[in-house]
Amino acid sequence: MNQKDGYWHPLVAGVILGVVLFISFMVAGQGMGASGAFARITAQLSYLYDSAFAQNSYAAKYLTKGNALANWTVVEVFGIFLGGYISAMLAGRIKQSIDRGDDYPVYKRLIWSFLGGFIMAGATRLARGCTSGQALDGAAAFSAGTWIFMLAAFGTGFMLAPLFKKQWKNIG
Amino acid sequence: MYPLFTTGSIDMNSNLLYGLIIGALFGVVLERTGFGSSKHIVPVFYFKNLKVSHTIVSAIITCSTLIVIASYNGWIDYNQIFIPDTYVWPYLVGGVLFGGAMVMSGWCPGTAVVGFASGKIDAFVFILGLLSGMYFYFDIYDQIADFANSGYLGRFTIDKLVGGDLYTSSYLITILLGAFLAIFMNIMKLIRDKKEKI
Repeated sequence: MNQKDGYWHPLVAGVILGVVLFISFMVAGQGMGASGAFARITAQLSYLYDSAFAQNSYAAKYLTKGNALANWTVVEVFGIFLGGYISAMLAGRIKQSIDRGDDYPVYKRLIWSFLGGFIMAGATRLARGCTSGQALDGAAAFSAGTWIFMLAAFGTGFMLAPLFKKQWKNIG
Repeated sequence: MYPLFTTGSIDMNSNLLYGLIIGALFGVVLERTGFGSSKHIVPVFYFKNLKVSHTIVSAIITCSTLIVIASYNGWIDYNQIFIPDTYVWPYLVGGVLFGGAMVMSGWCPGTAVVGFASGKIDAFVFILGLLSGMYFYFDIYDQIADFANSGYLGRFTIDKLVGGDLYTSSYLITILLGAFLAIFMNIMKLIRDKKEKI
């Protein structure tokens, strides 16, 4: 199943991912997500810092039922971390490093990482999910709206890719 | 009858426990595909390496086929499967911002968790950005709430858009869109590889 580079073939990995997603639908009635967990973590931290945050017009929905972290997606994302960690450990791939193109300055790479994360947060709130909870789950379960998100995201990625050429020089 | 949780066959705590296991399986698949590193994610935007698109398409086709079989045989109640409600304009703008942020940072929320678990410092910084961005969104939500809820279409499945039902239009169009995406990517890669040789 492993390719020369030590990773699974993408089509095989996709079939396995599809089966895991199907199990998720069969058990929980929802597919795997990721961005929602980060929204909930932020809401809970903000609430701990200042309980008036429970009145926030967006985050209130996470906080009214008690702890925002007592939620399926939050637990599932913790599972992603565990699974990712165990898999990387068994493959000998845990290493402190920064992914970037040849000669690209570390500080610039980290600025783009932070900024990308910052923008993506709002993007996932507008789109009600990310590559997992919206694109993958929605498309597999026949949502028409998901394809608006998917085509807009991939399309913009292709269009803006030339701007970030230096950051990703000679990778892949 | 499935889904187990929504039909009341298992309680909240068991559902959370299964959620942990399902998440762990997801994490293993992401890591084994190479998505614990931006080096395997970003090349898709340069048509260099199609891991991202091909894994997604193959997962969508596999899972939708299983859903159609399970639903047709009455094993699962399709109406109890959660699908995010469609909001046309926020989805479009959210998608544009998302795609830009993805090529900028090299991560998306799920892969960054695996990247962080594998020791990638850029994934950790990305997650800090994500958490800060969430706070910013909560903070400005009152100003953008109208837009964020515009173009509401509810649980908008493909058969509602084009007619037919789950087993015909929804399934067929999903397969076609998936195949289109995969073939488009292969053609772009061929063009790119040819250019590279010259």
